[in-house]
Amino acid sequence: MTINFKSYIPFIAGIVLLFTACSKSDDYAVPTPKDQLQNDCIKRSLGPNLVGSNIEFAYAMALPKTRGKLVSAQVEASIQGAAGTYLENRSFYTNNSGVDVPVKIGDPSVNNGNATTTNFTVDTNAATLRYFYQVPEEARGKKVSFTFTAKSSNGETVTYKMGPYTVSKMDMALDLGVNDADSSYISIADMKVYRRSQPVDPTKIDLIYMYRTFPTVTFKHALVAPAAPKEYLTDFVVPNNATNDVRLVKAFNLRDQQLARQQYGIFIDDPDFLAQNFTNMPDYFLNIKQEAGAWVETADGKYRAYIYFNVVDDAKKRMTISIKRYTMK
Amino acid sequence: MKKYIIISALVMAIISIMSGCKKNDFPVDEDGLLITTRTDCYVSNFELLGPDFQTVRSKAPVIDTTACTISQEVLYGTDLRSVWPQFSLAQDCKLDPKVTGKTDFSDLANPRQYTVISGNRQIRKTYKVIITVQSR
Repeated sequence: MTINFKSYIPFIAGIVLLFTACSKSDDYAVPTPKDQLQNDCIKRSLGPNLVGSNIEFAYAMALPKTRGKLVSAQVEASIQGAAGTYLENRSFYTNNSGVDVPVKIGDPSVNNGNATTTNFTVDTNAATLRYFYQVPEEARGKKVSFTFTAKSSNGETVTYKMGPYTVSKMDMALDLGVNDADSSYISIADMKVYRRSQPVDPTKIDLIYMYRTFPTVTFKHALVAPAAPKEYLTDFVVPNNATNDVRLVKAFNLRDQQLARQQYGIFIDDPDFLAQNFTNMPDYFLNIKQEAGAWVETADGKYRAYIYFNVVDDAKKRMTISIKRYTMK
Repeated sequence: MKKYIIISALVMAIISIMSGCKKNDFPVDEDGLLITTRTDCYVSNFELLGPDFQTVRSKAPVIDTTACTISQEVLYGTDLRSVWPQFSLAQDCKLDPKVTGKTDFSDLANPRQYTVISGNRQIRKTYKVIITVQSR
């Protein structure tokens, strides 16, 4: 009997491969910290940056105990923030229950021009401070950037640059209540809801909210333009000189996170308004469902908006709506 | 041994060459779709979607494959200038004209017509889509 060694070659190769796959990786080594003041930063807020809302950052700074303690933290924005801008004077850590627990590290921050500063009053060599930049009107449509600076007691200074971030041109109005009894007029130009019982400029009325039921068809919650066919205005008496004829495009499953403030990960931003086509679109929207929405173009073409229906209540004949609006002209 | 390897390689090469030159026996039409032997030619279902891609049908369509009509009632308030029709056809059929997007069905007096073409491309049946809107 002769042994053909060549026939064992695939077997041996397989064994070699198996051993290679199971070879142990190198041991992990704990990184050696740098002997200096260090910092890092992340942007916590998501989605478009809107005028009046906050852009939020978490700024972390630390230095070895042997090199002193933290003295101050400062953020300088390229455009001065609105009055609500501040840098936290509390450092947060997350406990075992997942709750962020604050630890006070200094006095409340002070705004001086474009800079916001927090001075440390406790002896600490590590902190993470949150910075809330309230977007001012001057930043609309512009880019804004931030320089974060930390100082230590031994005179060391570190900086971290963030941005630039584009501030959207659009506006946002949240949780406007409309009801069939009185608050029926929606003005896109003013981003407001007006009552029927109070004097209102009829040229401001872009949409009329109503709730109707009929035995043979589904009408329920509806938004109708003052100039829509009488059939869809039903028995509603439109004020004299209210003649705006907006265009509406129904949307479904478009739950903007900033309007819905729920788990949805969709954000409507400036380019979305420009991409809408309102040709051959109606001037009414019947049988509105909760969490649906509607793109709107005003009669003069000056504004485009997205109306999100947060709450639709059949029993009380009312809705809660939130609006994002983009100025076209 | 070497002889067998050479012969095997030659046989494989010849088979490859012959397969590569084999004539395509399956005809396709001007749209690149396979022309089959099937003679079925009908619409099996019809759907109509609004701008939000939700159905605007108020009830199931009535499809008369003899009279070649599709009767569809839509919800009250449906704006028919911009709706998206969807046809389900018998196997291997195609539609003419093609549905490429939102379509205007608002001229109720002149129903839109769509022709179904069978799998063998020999039979053509033109369907009328008759839309009615729910009334109050």
